[in-house]
Amino acid sequence: MDIDQAILMVKEVITGVVEHKALVTDETHLIGGNAVLDSMKLVEVCLMLEDIADENGFEFDWTSEATMSKSRSMFRDIRSLSEELVNQANG
Amino acid sequence: MIVVTGASKGLGESIALRLGESGHRVIGLARNISGMTIEGIACDVSSYQSVKAAARQIKKIGEPIDAVINAAGVASMNLAVTTDAGTVQKLVQTNLVGTIYMSQLFAPILIRQKHGSFINFSTIAVALALKGESVYAASKAGVEAFSRVFAREMADFNVRVNCVAPGPIRTDLLRGVSDSQINKIISQQVIKKEFQKSDVCDLVELLLDPKASSLSGQVLNIGGV
Repeated sequence: MDIDQAILMVKEVITGVVEHKALVTDETHLIGGNAVLDSMKLVEVCLMLEDIADENGFEFDWTSEATMSKSRSMFRDIRSLSEELVNQANG
Repeated sequence: MIVVTGASKGLGESIALRLGESGHRVIGLARNISGMTIEGIACDVSSYQSVKAAARQIKKIGEPIDAVINAAGVASMNLAVTTDAGTVQKLVQTNLVGTIYMSQLFAPILIRQKHGSFINFSTIAVALALKGESVYAASKAGVEAFSRVFAREMADFNVRVNCVAPGPIRTDLLRGVSDSQINKIISQQVIKKEFQKSDVCDLVELLLDPKASSLSGQVLNIGGV
């Protein structure tokens, strides 16, 4: 999985979870004040990415210490989440 | 399928056996599973990696999980000032942190199902502020607080979380506690009667019954306080 594929995949998941009610770009914030996801929807995204990872033969770990840190979190925006997904996919 | 921690002895074992008798498939988690008569997975709830491995193994079974019962626990009856650092660490790590790890790592499975229930374990020592149980009570007070808040976090996913707080039940945890001390605690219950492991099993079954679907975020004191 490369970064472009991951971004596309993450955008698709998030667009589905927010039911097309928000514009989803690479810079869309996932946590914090301007986030498009509430905590419930964030969990839904994680579960869907877990499924995608499973289909692609790797495990998506969304319980790491960096998960919710505002500065380092993989949920900062679409790009950071996609990068983390690629990192985990490539072991 | 129901997952029970601390299933090799004490309340955990009694609950696991009762639920098995009631027709549930029960997976018992314990540090030492040799000699367990039910299906078991070795797991130390105080270790995040150990719980994670158990959750992964159970997820692979692919059966719905109706409940996770966090009965694993350790006790130490002592004044705070005479409790050594290692014991403090062990009580908090097993009783509180172990319950949190189990909840965190099994929750995604129950969330995905949009069904299921967590039953955690506290103690009468919290409600009665029993002298000589400060550290143990503190670890269990944490379990009560965690359960009440976690219940709200899980409610949106149709997952219930409740906490059972027994009084003195004759298990290994009460080793070294005299009859007069036990009677003194019982005298402070609403129902002044010594309850048994079977009473705890009854309450667990009651909480698992669909008729208890309105109950979440509750601490249920056996015998009443």
